[in-house]
Parts: sequence; C-alpha cells; structure tokens
Amino acid sequence: MTRPLSILVLDDNVDNADALAELLAMDDHNVKVTYSGQEAVDAYREAPYDLGFFDVMMPGKNGVDSFLEIRKERPDAKIYFMTGFSADELLKKAMAGGAMGVFGKPVDLPSVLNVVEQAA
Amino acid sequence: MTTYRKSPATRIDSIDALLQILDVLPTSLFIKDENLNFVFSNEAHCRIIGSPAQQLLGLSDADFYPAEQAKEFMAGDRLVLGSDEPHEFLELATSTDGNTVYSLTRKARIATPDGKTYLVGTNTDLTDMKRKEAELEAKEARYRALAETVPVGIWHLRENGETVYVNPFLLNLLGLTEVEFAASDPSRILAGCPAEGMAKLIGDASRFETDLLSAGKVVAHAMVVSSGWLENAGVSGRSVMVTFVDVTRIADLQTVNDQVTRLNAELSENIQKLKDTQEQMVRSGRMAQLGQLTATVAHELRNPLAAVRTSAFVLDRKVRDKGLGVEQQLLRIDNGVVRCDNIISQLLDFARTRPAQCKSYEFDAWIAKIIEEEAAKLPESVHIECTLGLGALQVSFDVDRLSRCIINLVSNASEALVGKEGNPVEPSGVQPVIRIGTMRTARGVEFTIADNGPGISEANLRRIREPLFTTKTYGTGLGLPAVEKILEQHNGGLDVSSRLGEGACFTAWFPLTQVQEEAA
Repeated sequence: MTRPLSILVLDDNVDNADALAELLAMDDHNVKVTYSGQEAVDAYREAPYDLGFFDVMMPGKNGVDSFLEIRKERPDAKIYFMTGFSADELLKKAMAGGAMGVFGKPVDLPSVLNVVEQAA
Repeated sequence: MTTYRKSPATRIDSIDALLQILDVLPTSLFIKDENLNFVFSNEAHCRIIGSPAQQLLGLSDADFYPAEQAKEFMAGDRLVLGSDEPHEFLELATSTDGNTVYSLTRKARIATPDGKTYLVGTNTDLTDMKRKEAELEAKEARYRALAETVPVGIWHLRENGETVYVNPFLLNLLGLTEVEFAASDPSRILAGCPAEGMAKLIGDASRFETDLLSAGKVVAHAMVVSSGWLENAGVSGRSVMVTFVDVTRIADLQTVNDQVTRLNAELSENIQKLKDTQEQMVRSGRMAQLGQLTATVAHELRNPLAAVRTSAFVLDRKVRDKGLGVEQQLLRIDNGVVRCDNIISQLLDFARTRPAQCKSYEFDAWIAKIIEEEAAKLPESVHIECTLGLGALQVSFDVDRLSRCIINLVSNASEALVGKEGNPVEPSGVQPVIRIGTMRTARGVEFTIADNGPGISEANLRRIREPLFTTKTYGTGLGLPAVEKILEQHNGGLDVSSRLGEGACFTAWFPLTQVQEEAA
C-alpha cells in the first residue's frame, strides 16, 4: 500500500462525487468531497491537496475556472478533469493552465487508480 | 432524169404535168416576170398570199401584201434580178386573210431560151420553228430569271473546274463580282482543304455542310449539293451543277436552340440545387438542434453512468474474495455502462454539426498508431494486414473525429468476421482478416478497411447508410451514418462495396487542402 494522499473530488452530481470518493477512500486516502466550484476553491484556500478530480460542466463556477483560480494561490495543485463530453475550449484552457489530464465519463476507474498510485 | 433532158419532145409534153406536180408540192413556189408580176404560183404559195392562182397572175406583191412587206419583198426581187446568184431572205408575210407566215425565201433569176428573164422563188415555212425558238427563248429567260433570283447559290462548272455560270446569289454571298469569281480559284470557296472540297463537288452527287470562304474568311455556312456528272447540260463535255443553300442562320438558330436547351438544363439543375440547399438548411437546422440536444443528453447521461460504473467498481472491491458469486452480475453492469457509453459516442458523432477542427499530421504514422491500439482490443482470431502508401505525406484532418471513423469501421469489420462477445458469428472456416490500406488518389487521401467476412446483401447495401438501420442485435444503426457524416465534414465521402460471400470493403476519402496538394 502506498502512502495516503489528500484528494479533493469536485462534481455537482452527488452520486458521482460520493462514489468516486468512496472508491478512493477504500485505499485509505483522505478524500474531501465538494459539489460546487466555489466549495472546491474555498477548500483549497484552507489547505493544499495532493490530487484533485474535477468535473468540468456544472452550474455556477465551472471546474476549469475553479481550477484556474486555485492555481493562482496554489501553483502546484495537481488536478485531473472528468468530463461527459468534449468541451474543447474549456479543456484547452485547463491544459494550458497546467492541468494533469482529462478523463472521459464514465471514467475508466483502473486508469484513475493508476494515476493516484503514481502520485502516492 | 437524164433521158428527159436529152429529149425536147418529152420535155415540152411534161410541162403541164410538171406544173401539176409543182402545185401539190408542200413547198411554196412562185414565178415572177421581169416586172415582178406573178406568172405562176403553186397551191402552197397561194395559201401564203391568201389568194387563188388565177387571181395572182399578172399582179404583184403590192396587190396582196401590206405595203411595208410588199416593198421589202420587191426590193429583194430587184436585187435578185440584177444578180447572177440566188439569194435568201427571212421574211414575214401576212396573207390577205391576216395570217402571218415566217419564211425563208429563196429567190433566183432564170433566163429562158426565148430571151425572157424570170424570178423563181420558194418559201420554206419557218413559223413553227420560229415559234419553238421563241418558246425556247422564253423558257430560257424564265430559267435565267429563276437562277438570278432564287435565294440559293448556283455554280455550274466544267470538268476542269472552269466556271460556266455562277448566279448573283452566290456572288453576293461571297462578296465577289463575276469577274473576280472567275479570276479567283473557285476551289477556295469551300472551307477545309480546297482540293478535297473540289473533289467533293466534282464527281459523284453529294450533299454536305461546309463553311464558305472568301479571301480566307468564313462568310457563310452552307449546305452544298452537287449534281454529280451531267453529260448534257448545255456545254460540251461533262459538267457539274452545284447549289449552295445558306444555312448560317439555321446554324445560328441551332446554336440558339442549343443554348436554350443548355440554359434549361442549367435552370433545372439550379432549381434542384436550390431545393437541395433548402432541404440541407432545414436538415442542418434540425441537425444543429439535434446536436445541441444530444450534447446535453450525453452529458446528463454520462454523469449517472459514471456513478453506476464507480459504484459497481466499489461494490466489486467490497465483495471480492467473499464468495458471494456476484462477479458475473457486476461484469454485466459494467458491460451495460460500456454499451451505453458507445451509443452516446455514436449519437454525438452523428449529431455533431460543428466544423471539423483540422490539424496537419503524418497520416500513415497516425493511422498505424490507432490501428495498433484497436488491434489490441480485437479478438485474437482476427488478423490485421496493413498496406500504407502515403509515406510521410502531411494531411490536415480532425484527429478525434477521424479516429472515431477508423475505430467504427474496424470494429464493424471485426464484428462482421467473428461477431462480438456474447454474439459470436458462425465461423466460416476462412482465416478472418481485416485489410487496411491508405493511398493517394485523384480524390485526395483514401483509406480502405476491407474484411473477408460474409459480405452484405444487395438489399442491405442499399440501406446501410440509413441512420438507425442495423442487422445486429447490439447495433445502434448510427455507426456508419456517423462515419459518413464525419467524412462529409472533411468534404469527403464513403464508398461501400460488397457481395454476399465476398467480404466488404469500405473506402473513406477526403480531399487534401490546396497547400498539401502542392506539397504532395
């Protein structure tokens, strides 16, 4: 078992966010679940996270804008995006802003676990 | 005859008989004395003058003919009497009952042994001949007038090419005078090779269309009709009559007609285009709506799908090694998620209306990588053979969309060959092979994906491009329409060829951009 990481999950879809958080928690990682962009920005302001898994499209502040805001205060923040369809422009912006990668929904979970393991 | 001349007795005896014979001669005969008074007139002459012989004797022409005629005849008589030679006169003689006779009159002076001088005359009636001649002249004049006025060119020429006659219409057409026409080489009036033109004119009867030239310039387009050899056309030797009908205007009409026909065709084509465009606009309007709807639905569906998948994954990990026997059920959940996701992807491909986002890549290297990835996912029994023929050619295309095309076509081919997990195809006994090729053609870039599977029936081939048409229990019927749509977004298309039992070949093509075209 690798070292436990602090991971933030952001998804406005509660089931999605909770299911992913539960999976990550099974490997003893400390997982914080947020359901809006602002919540995630606030969480990062309070503390850094080793990894973040962000949904892109959501009401209010979207995942990419939240990420860019977070990167201003925490330039090292390592964040992966998960998206239901290719929001090309937003994702380009995210990658240019230093995002780690993009997973298509429904996310291929072994791949997610793989990147977590790499980071640990 | 000789006997008569040698016997004076016979001669005297036969005078009356002779006179009787002269009387019944068809030729008019008269004898005048030195004073130009008649001493003899046969019946034929009596008919010309209009009086019986008894009334003539001792009288002169002046007593019977109109004064002018009588004066002319008697002047001739005097000339003959003063001459040793016989004379001929062409005379018009009007009888007392008003008949006019045109005659050739021959007159001669004779001297009898008793020292008297007489004038003997005969008349040959030329009236009929003269009438026929006049008729001929009239006929000739009519034909001449016809030839001079018909709106048809007429050229009568001898075997050696010498002009017998050329009518004013032809001269007008050529802008030449008769003298100029005769002086110029007449063979040059036909367009094309003059020698052949002449050969066409002279000889066999023929009919052809040609341009008429004057001083090397086309002056008219004519229908030329050659009579062929004429043996008896008023000239010695053989000759040819050629007529020229100016069909320039008819040719113009034909041109106008052609133009109208072409314009009509263009018009109907344009109307069709307009209709197509309208339909296209309605369709693309609908497609834009569908695209938006699909994108929203895809997003909305993929989130719960993600939750299902993640939950099943978590569940799997929680119950693993606990001997609950739910692995199969969990696998089915995940298979269901994959299938739903594929349907969503195909819907997105099909409904996407945004223009392709093209970038330049080395096509062969790119496709080789995709095929390598896809080959790994295919059942082991399926072999893949690649023949890539583009070399290092840089091609501009939308990577995401074109890779969806290739993935779609390759998985279609594989499914045709061996089916899918849970829906296998009856093995045919032949090694299943997918042949993939790329090549440069006149259309631009082409890639083919061919299989040696069961092939597609003619009926299915006709419907294969219809959205939602599928022969598979697990198909959406959107795969191929999506492929076609993506190629259309690249200004290309998809060709499908197949026969039952002979596999199927899908050829995708799209044009190179102009820059690549020049570089290629």
